[in-house]
Amino acid sequence: MADDVIDADELDPGFKYEISKQPGGENLKLCFQCGTCSGTCPVRAINDKYNPRRIIRMALLGMRKEVLCSDFIWLCSTCYACHERCPQNVRIPELMFAIRNIALREGNIHPVYKGYVDALDGHGRLLEVGEFENEKRVKYGLPPIAEEKERVRKIFHHTRIKDRTDGKLKGGEACATEGSK
Amino acid sequence: MSESKEDAAVKATRPAEGATGAPRIGVYVCHCGLNIAGSVDCHAVAEHAKTLPNVVIASDNRYTCSEPGQEQIKKEIKEHKLTRVVVASCTPRLHEPTFRTACKDAGLNPYLFEMANLREHCSWVHLHDRGAATEKAKDLVAMAVARAALLEPQEEAEVPVIRRALVIGGGVAGIQASLDLAQAGYKVFLVEKDPSIGGKMAQIDKTFPTMDCSICILAPKMAEAGRHPNITLLAYSDVADVKGYIGNFKVTVKKHPRYVTKDCTACGDCAKVCPVVVPNEFDIGLASRRAIYSPFAQAVPSTYVVDIRNCLGMNICRRCVEKCERKAIDFDMAEETLELDVGTIIVATGVDAFDPTALKDYAYGVYPNVITSLEFERLINAGGPSGGRLVRPSDMAIPKEVAFIQCVGSRKRVNEKGHPYCSNICCMNTIKDALLIKEHWPETKITVYYMDIRAFGKGFEDLYNRAKEHGVKFIRGIPAEIEQDNTTMDLVIRSEDTDSGKMLVRSYGMVVLSIGIEPRQDNEVVQKLLTLSRTSDGFFLEAHPKLRPVDAPTPGIFLCGCAEGPKDIKDSVTQASAAAARANILMAQGKVRVEALTPVIIDELCKKCGACAKVCPYHAIEFDKEKKEVPGVITAACAGCGTCGAECAFGAISMRHFSDETLNAEIDAITAEDACRKTVAFCCNWCSYAGADFAGVSRMQYPPNIRIIRTMCSGRVAEKMVLRAFQRGAGAVLVAGCHLQDCHYINANYQTLKRVERLWKKLEQKGIRKERLQLAWISAAEGERFASKVKEMARIVDTVTKEECDKTAQLLSKEKKEG
Repeated sequence: MADDVIDADELDPGFKYEISKQPGGENLKLCFQCGTCSGTCPVRAINDKYNPRRIIRMALLGMRKEVLCSDFIWLCSTCYACHERCPQNVRIPELMFAIRNIALREGNIHPVYKGYVDALDGHGRLLEVGEFENEKRVKYGLPPIAEEKERVRKIFHHTRIKDRTDGKLKGGEACATEGSK
Repeated sequence: MSESKEDAAVKATRPAEGATGAPRIGVYVCHCGLNIAGSVDCHAVAEHAKTLPNVVIASDNRYTCSEPGQEQIKKEIKEHKLTRVVVASCTPRLHEPTFRTACKDAGLNPYLFEMANLREHCSWVHLHDRGAATEKAKDLVAMAVARAALLEPQEEAEVPVIRRALVIGGGVAGIQASLDLAQAGYKVFLVEKDPSIGGKMAQIDKTFPTMDCSICILAPKMAEAGRHPNITLLAYSDVADVKGYIGNFKVTVKKHPRYVTKDCTACGDCAKVCPVVVPNEFDIGLASRRAIYSPFAQAVPSTYVVDIRNCLGMNICRRCVEKCERKAIDFDMAEETLELDVGTIIVATGVDAFDPTALKDYAYGVYPNVITSLEFERLINAGGPSGGRLVRPSDMAIPKEVAFIQCVGSRKRVNEKGHPYCSNICCMNTIKDALLIKEHWPETKITVYYMDIRAFGKGFEDLYNRAKEHGVKFIRGIPAEIEQDNTTMDLVIRSEDTDSGKMLVRSYGMVVLSIGIEPRQDNEVVQKLLTLSRTSDGFFLEAHPKLRPVDAPTPGIFLCGCAEGPKDIKDSVTQASAAAARANILMAQGKVRVEALTPVIIDELCKKCGACAKVCPYHAIEFDKEKKEVPGVITAACAGCGTCGAECAFGAISMRHFSDETLNAEIDAITAEDACRKTVAFCCNWCSYAGADFAGVSRMQYPPNIRIIRTMCSGRVAEKMVLRAFQRGAGAVLVAGCHLQDCHYINANYQTLKRVERLWKKLEQKGIRKERLQLAWISAAEGERFASKVKEMARIVDTVTKEECDKTAQLLSKEKKEG
C-alpha cells in the first residue's frame, strides 16, 4: 500500500468527518502536516510502521480501508509526547482511540487488545491481583484489592466489546475479508 | 422675538408642506428588469401603495436607477409637490446615495428619501412563490411609507479640521507617513517611545527580496524626518492622553528627560568614561552599552541619552558631566508635558518580536547557539557586535552548518506556543538570511525546516529559487526538539522529512529560530487612548478590511505598518503613504461633513442620569456627574450608532433619521395584519442587514414571513421596541448585529447583548416563551447563517398560536398600564 499509487476514485472523502464525529477525533481536520508529532514519537523512532502524521494524512485523504484495517493504528503507546508538542491541538493519542473505535466496529481488532479484553473480563482489571499481592499490600498497610469483575462486565455488556473481540458480533464489512493484516 | 434661533433654523429647512401639514409621498416600484419583476408583481405593489396613507402618486418602472427613472422622480417631486420619496428597488446599501442625490437635485432634503429593499430581501429569496413574495413586497413598501411620513429634513454638520497631524510611532511606517504629510505642507508631530526613531527596520541587516542594506536606505529617511521644518520630532516620548474628535484632537504628550541637551555633538566622550555597563537593547543584549549612550550609530536624534535607572547618579559619579566639553549633560532636566492640537492621527506603533523562551523543546536561552532571527540580523550586520562575522555565542567560531526553523511562534493554535496567524515575513527573511550566509561563507551548509514556504510577493519566488540554486536545503517538517552536544556545543535536531517520511537526526553549529511577530504589549493602552478596536489576534482593526484598509473605525484616525497586522517593509511603507493620503484628504478640505445620524437631547425630558454617556463607545456625550447638567453631544465625535437613544429610559434622546417614531412606525406597519405569523427583525446596517443582502445576492431561499427593520447598529434597538412588537402581536422578534468583536461601533453591540438578556429575563418572568425573542450575530459575509436563522425563526413562529400572541400582547400591555 505504501508505495502504491493512490487512486483518487477509491478515496472516501467522508472518512475525515466520520472520525471527527467520534469523541477524541474532533480536531483531526486542524492538522497541517508540520511533522512535529512524527519527529517526537518514540514509537516512530524505532518502528517505521508507525507514523502518526502519516496516519492523519491518510485519514484526511480518505484512505478509509487502509487506515481502519491496518495494524499500525494499534501501535500508539499513548505517551502523549506528540500531544504536548502539536501546535494545532489535534489531540493525536485521543484521535488514535477514535480511529480504533471505528476500526473495531469494522472488524479489526489487534490480538494484543483481545488479550486485554479477556484479562479485563476475567479479573476486572488488566493485572491479576492474587493472594500474594494482597498479603504484601496488607503488610505495607494498604487495603487489599478485590476483583470487581461485575462492574467491568456491565460495561462489556453495554458496549458488547467482548462479543466483538470473540467474533460473535459482526461489525462492518470493511476489514472482513482481510481480517487483521 | 420669543422663537429661538434653532427653532427658526428647523422651520426654514422644512419643505413646503407647511400649508397642509400632511406629507406628500411618491412611491416608485422598480422592476429591476426581471430581478424583481420575475417573482414580484410590481404593478400590484404600486397599486397597493396608492392605497397607503399620504401617498400622492405611485408607479412602477423597469429601472428606477436609470437616467429616465431618476428624471421621473425629479419631475414628479416638482409637479406633485412631493415632500417624501420612497423607492422600492434594491438594497439601500447600493443606491441610497443615487436617489438621495436625485432628491437633492429636485430641491428635496435628501434625508426625506426612503428605500424598500424588494430585491435582496424579497424577490431573490422567494424566487418560487410569486404570491407570497408580492404580499411581502407590499408590506415592505408599507413599512417604508410609514417611516417616510415621519422622516425629517436633516442638515449635515460641518466641523473644521485642524491642519496638523500626529503620528504615533517612529518606525519606517511612521517616518514615511510623517514625511509624506510634511512634504504636503502639514505640520506633523512624530512621537516615538524610544530615544531614537528607526524602529525594527534599523535593526535589520538586509531587506528582502532586493538584498538592500536596511539602515542604508532607512538612515536618509530618518535624517530627513529629523530635520524637516514641518516635523516636530518627539523622541523618548509617550502619548499620555487623547481627547476630542475628528479634526480636533487634543493630545497630551509626555517627553521623558534625556538628561542631555541639544548641545550634544554625539562625540561619545561621555560614554567612554561611564563606568556602568549594561546590555544594549539595539543589539538584543548581544553587546553592551554604557548608562549614557546613543542607541546606534545612525540614531535620530543623535543626542545622547542617560539611562537613569542604571546611572549611578550625580552624587556618586560625575564622570560624564566632567568630561563633556559642551556642558550638554544636565541632570536637572525634568519630564515635559506638551499639549498638541491636531486634526488627524496616524497610528504606526509597530510590533514586538515573538519571544521563544517558553518553547522548552527548542531551549532558547538555555543552549547558547540557539538564536533568534532578530539576533541573527545583528550578528550578520557589519555594524553589529561581531562586525558582521556570523559567530556562534558559545565559542565565537563561525558555524559550518546552520539550521533555520520556521514558524516559531506563528501558526500555533495552542496558546503558549505562539499565535494562530502567519507572521507574513519570516519565510522570506530566512531565505534572505540563508543567502547572506552563502554570500559570506559559501561553504556553509544551510538547512531550512519549514512546513510551507510562503513566497507570495513581487520578486519573492525568484529569491526562493536563488536560495535553492545556492544549495540551501529545504526540508518540509518542523523539528520536534533540539538537543545539545555538551562537548562540541553543536545542536542536534530530530525531525521527520514529511516528503519522504524519513526520520532525520542532524547536527548543526548554530540554529536560528525564525520568530514571528506579535502585537505590541502596549497595544491595549493605545487602543484605550484612541478608542480603537482590535482583532482577536490583537492587531488594530481597520474600518473595512477591503475598502477602508487604513482607516480606523474612529473617524480621523488612520493605521499603518505592523500595528494593523504583520507585514514587510514595502507593505508598511505603502500603507503609510496611504494613511498619509487619507489624512491629507481631510486636512486639505479643512472641514468634514458628519452624516446627520447623531442624537438630539431633549432638555425637558432629560433626567440628567448620564446613562447615555456611559454607553457611548466614542465618548461623544459629555456629562459631568458633579454639575448634573443636561449632557452635551459632540456631533463630530459621534458615529451615529444610536445606543444612547436605546439606553435612555425617559425618551429624552431623539436619534436623527432613526428616531423612535420612524422605527415604531415600521414595527406598526409590520404588525398591522397577521402579526402572529411574522418575525419582526432588527438588523444592523453593517453586518446583519448586509448579511441578509448577501443571502439575497446568493439567491438563498428562505420563508417569506420575516420583515427587516434597518438600524445603523443593533445597539439602537431599545427594549421598548422589542416589547412594542410583542404587544402588537408579533409571532417572534429577531435582533441581529455584528459579531461581538467586530462591531462597527467599537463595542456598542455589547449593549445589545445586555438588553436582550434583560428582555429574556423579563419575558420569562411574565411567562412568555423567551425563544420567541432571538439574538444572532451575523456578519456581512454570512448569508448562509442569515438564511438559516430566518428558517429557524419561521419554525419558532410555527409553534406560536394566535391565542399565545394575544396573551402575550395582553400581558405586556397590562404592564404598560401599571407602569
